[in-house]
Amino acid sequence: MFRFILHRLGMAVPTLLLISVMVFALIRFIPGDPALLMLGDMADAQSLAQMRSSLGLDHSVVTQYLIWIKSVLSGDLGVSISTRQAVLPLLFERFSVSATIVLVAVALATLIAVPVGLFAAWKQDSAMDLGLVAGATLLLSIPSFWLGLLLLYAFGIKLGWLPVVGYVTFADDPLKAITYLVLPIVTLTLVEFGAIARMARASTIEVLRLDYIAHARAKGLSEGAVLWRHALRNAFAPTWTLVGLILGNLLGGIAVLETVFTLPGVGRLMVDSIFARDYPVLQGCLLLITCIYVFVNLCVDLLYPLFDPRVKL
Amino acid sequence: MHHYVKKTLYVGVPTLSLCFAALTLQAGEPSLIKVGFNGDIRSTEPGVNRDENSDAFIMHIVEGLVAYREDASVGPMLAKDVAISDDGLTYTFTLREGVKFQNGKSLTAEDVKWTWQRYLDPKTQWRCLPEFDGRGVSKILDISVPEPLKVVFRIDQPNGVLLATMSRPDCGGSGIVHPDSVAADGTWIAPIGTGPFTLGQWKQGQYVELNRFKDYTPRAEAKPDGFTGNKQAFVDRVRFVVIPDAASAKAALLSGGVDVLPDVTAMDEAELKNVAGMQVRISPVMTLGGLLFQTRDPLLGDVRIRRAVALSLDYSQMVATLSNGLSAVNNSIIPTTSAYYDATAQKGYPHDLEEARRLLKEAGYHGQPIKLIVNKRYPQMFDMGVLSQAMLQSVGVNIVLETMEWGAQLERYQSGNFQMMAFSYSPRFDAALSYESVTGNKDKEPRKVWDNPKALVLLREAQSESVAQKRQALFDQLHTLMLADVPMVMIYNGTSIGVVKDGIEGYRSWPISKPRLWGVSLAATSK
Amino acid sequence: MSAKRTLQAEPALRAPLRARRAWRYPPLNALIGGGLLLILIGMALLGLVWTPYEPLRLDLLARFQAPSAAHWLGTDEFGRDALSRMMMGARTSLWISLLSVSFAVVAGTLIGMLAGYLRGWTDRVLMMLNDALLAFPGILMALGIMAIIGASQYGIVLALGIAYTPSVVRVVRGSVLSLRELEFVEASRVIGNSEFYTMLRHIAPNCLAPLCVLATSMFGWALLSESALSFLGLGVPPPAATWGSMLAASRPYIASAAWLGIFPGIFISLALLAINLFGDALRDRLDPRMRK
Repeated sequence: MFRFILHRLGMAVPTLLLISVMVFALIRFIPGDPALLMLGDMADAQSLAQMRSSLGLDHSVVTQYLIWIKSVLSGDLGVSISTRQAVLPLLFERFSVSATIVLVAVALATLIAVPVGLFAAWKQDSAMDLGLVAGATLLLSIPSFWLGLLLLYAFGIKLGWLPVVGYVTFADDPLKAITYLVLPIVTLTLVEFGAIARMARASTIEVLRLDYIAHARAKGLSEGAVLWRHALRNAFAPTWTLVGLILGNLLGGIAVLETVFTLPGVGRLMVDSIFARDYPVLQGCLLLITCIYVFVNLCVDLLYPLFDPRVKL
Repeated sequence: MHHYVKKTLYVGVPTLSLCFAALTLQAGEPSLIKVGFNGDIRSTEPGVNRDENSDAFIMHIVEGLVAYREDASVGPMLAKDVAISDDGLTYTFTLREGVKFQNGKSLTAEDVKWTWQRYLDPKTQWRCLPEFDGRGVSKILDISVPEPLKVVFRIDQPNGVLLATMSRPDCGGSGIVHPDSVAADGTWIAPIGTGPFTLGQWKQGQYVELNRFKDYTPRAEAKPDGFTGNKQAFVDRVRFVVIPDAASAKAALLSGGVDVLPDVTAMDEAELKNVAGMQVRISPVMTLGGLLFQTRDPLLGDVRIRRAVALSLDYSQMVATLSNGLSAVNNSIIPTTSAYYDATAQKGYPHDLEEARRLLKEAGYHGQPIKLIVNKRYPQMFDMGVLSQAMLQSVGVNIVLETMEWGAQLERYQSGNFQMMAFSYSPRFDAALSYESVTGNKDKEPRKVWDNPKALVLLREAQSESVAQKRQALFDQLHTLMLADVPMVMIYNGTSIGVVKDGIEGYRSWPISKPRLWGVSLAATSK
Repeated sequence: MSAKRTLQAEPALRAPLRARRAWRYPPLNALIGGGLLLILIGMALLGLVWTPYEPLRLDLLARFQAPSAAHWLGTDEFGRDALSRMMMGARTSLWISLLSVSFAVVAGTLIGMLAGYLRGWTDRVLMMLNDALLAFPGILMALGIMAIIGASQYGIVLALGIAYTPSVVRVVRGSVLSLRELEFVEASRVIGNSEFYTMLRHIAPNCLAPLCVLATSMFGWALLSESALSFLGLGVPPPAATWGSMLAASRPYIASAAWLGIFPGIFISLALLAINLFGDALRDRLDPRMRK
């Protein structure tokens, strides 16, 4: 197993490097630079040059890249051009917000969706099954930000039960923090529930048809035991892949939800830093997102044997 | 537990808590006003690493020698009076007595000198250094302290806009800070100014707070007057909440998440003024919105074509739509709220389609496409482009809209690489500064739209001249010249629309447009 | 002997194990999904020739009107008829999604086949690039491309197309890898067909099934992504309408003119529902393992 992990990590490094180069180059080819954006229409040539120099933008792109790589390797991700905050702590701060929402939502969705999917598979083609599938498909089809907007409107504005904007960290005020997190988590849970439930149902159906299930039933095991001990284990594998896929991609796509609910998360940080050409922050974000993507994929692959003994690492 | 102990606890604890609660309620919660900001501040250093929100924020903490009044003229702030020598080269500021810094120390001329020397040090990277080191109109030669409350600035050339430039919010108002604001090695710690508020908690990315400075020494006037006057604060705490997204900000206002939104769009104003519990405060501001031409473009180099465009736009309809009826047409670079906006400045372009067509024909224009750059980040710029395109179609001018991202458009603006562009200039508070933003030598500064040598001469004179009447005459000449040259078409000045909840008293929008929370109070019962 | 058998079957063999089923009445989800899709496409096509009002025409006197007999879906902040814009939006949104999926399918299939069939270093390098692209956040790519070539429909198509190509590459490569070892492919090589011909004639048709399923999913992703991009301010520039940009533009008016946000969301959801249902049916049809 150790070798497997090392091998995968080893494979990840060139990917990371490649992405860092792509991002670095791409963001600098986009017209407009942070110095210009900061000075706006009042930028005379000298101030511009001065500001660019102070931001380290007067070197060639290659030099800038090498400087950046060097500092990353020593643990320093640089300083935000907009706020002069250190990038690494900023990333962690923002990431904890996004991660909280994503992890809680996906966990909730999985916890609810898998049993529902199992149940639907067991009762395949019954009215309840069709109803559940229809519901899951419907939820799957609703854009997350639209759902978020609707919930925000209903619970935030019309009913006034939950706050509409802002964020309080857990450390400061746990109870209040929860009120800020409820709507985004509920939105995300609903949206992911559909996909996970369908996948759980589909893979369970496939497993239930297999011989060894019939065998277990013939042995006299109760339906519950059949479902739980045999079907679930094996049906879970593809569901687990899906969960991993969702987790890996969600962090990149959560920017929209964070915009709707005004949450200081990493998705919005990335979008803002693109618009402000805040190169250090953007590069840091990309690095973080890629690392997470690789890490999540690795975890998913590592946990496979738990669910399917046939799979060897 | 013993029976009696239990009984005591059951009775005693709730009673005690009730008493405690009653006491706290009586003591009164510190009053807090929440203001919506569309971005976090960049730093707490005046005029350094700043943007508009940072400027608005820092002007609550620091004060400069002079400051803008409500009508955008310049008046004394920390100075009691300002004496200018006859040759215009010596400025003597006499400071007010008994002004206290936020750390309890008294303001002296030495502190002024120290602050200014720090500003003028290139290492500080003060935004306005170019205006005072010779690259601008004049250079500060030296600053001396003949008496404990007198500061003398000597400059090398007469400068009619020196005081106006000192007052600029994007310079931090040239706010005077105490040396303790800076560490021994020169790094910035926190601003210790003389203003009505001190720096409170700063939760980066979420909010930044101000606390009332209890020992603030206000000026003698009865009320606040722009950035000067009596700036006594009535509220204990102000929190600037970061809400980058306009729609979320509006939602926050409606649900009580914020109490004040300093800057909403004209559309929102139309909606919010009808909402119960909200009040709208409107003021024209000095931003300049219009269409820029590139006079070095082969096609647009012909003044007849430019003039044809200027004559084809229905300005009143355009401005009515763009500002939702809140702004007036202004074809002059001098903002409507400026003291120099006189009868001459009111002259603009007539709406004359016949003449436009004639000019186009004479110039030999036969429908070549002209690219007009717009962006989506600032809707008014985009709408300006859309409306212009529609209006110019009627005389046969073929405008092609090119939508760009803001950063990309700024790059084109900076390099002069465009044919036409819908643009909005950030406000300049003196008419000469307004003209300076559009006039210059294109070889050195490609972003300047107007490089008529005669205009440059007039501009230099206006910048050096201090006497109001003479300046007015120069501005009149400049405007007449611009109407003839048509290097750009000015369309309107923006408006600042603030929305406050019922119960917030004393908040006003004003031509300098920055929000001000001194002189503002919350009515009795509030959250 | 076996070689001779497979030889005779040379004309576009299907992979074995496929039971060709007789034509049956299509299942419910195909009907509903397909039906919905047809309605939406019909709406889009109708919008090409006729809309109740001109979608781009401003009518500043009739702003923010609630749905009524005159304006079935109400009017927006410029007084434009929402239904007309919705029809225009259907056309634009569906077209953008279709183009980007097509781009991804064509590019991804080419690359995937190359990688899967040729293996070795070509495969390694291509897959490394592919993984890098897969992990690359779509938003940055979209912004980058559009900032460089200008915001337009085609910028978005390019951005989305590039973003989805890696998924296609993966699926196609996977199919190719499993297919290339099969007998009939071996046979094709033995009788002297070029690699290219083998790829085209024998392998490609068998990749179709998973590709179709993926393509329908991607169509949904594209629709969703286009809305999300518009939401963040990166979509098709106004005054053109897409459902996503209409949804985004409705946000400030959520309290006063809720209908402006509800209808685009409904249409996007309906389109996605249709795609999902139809995709399900398609998968059931093409993938025998899922059937009961």
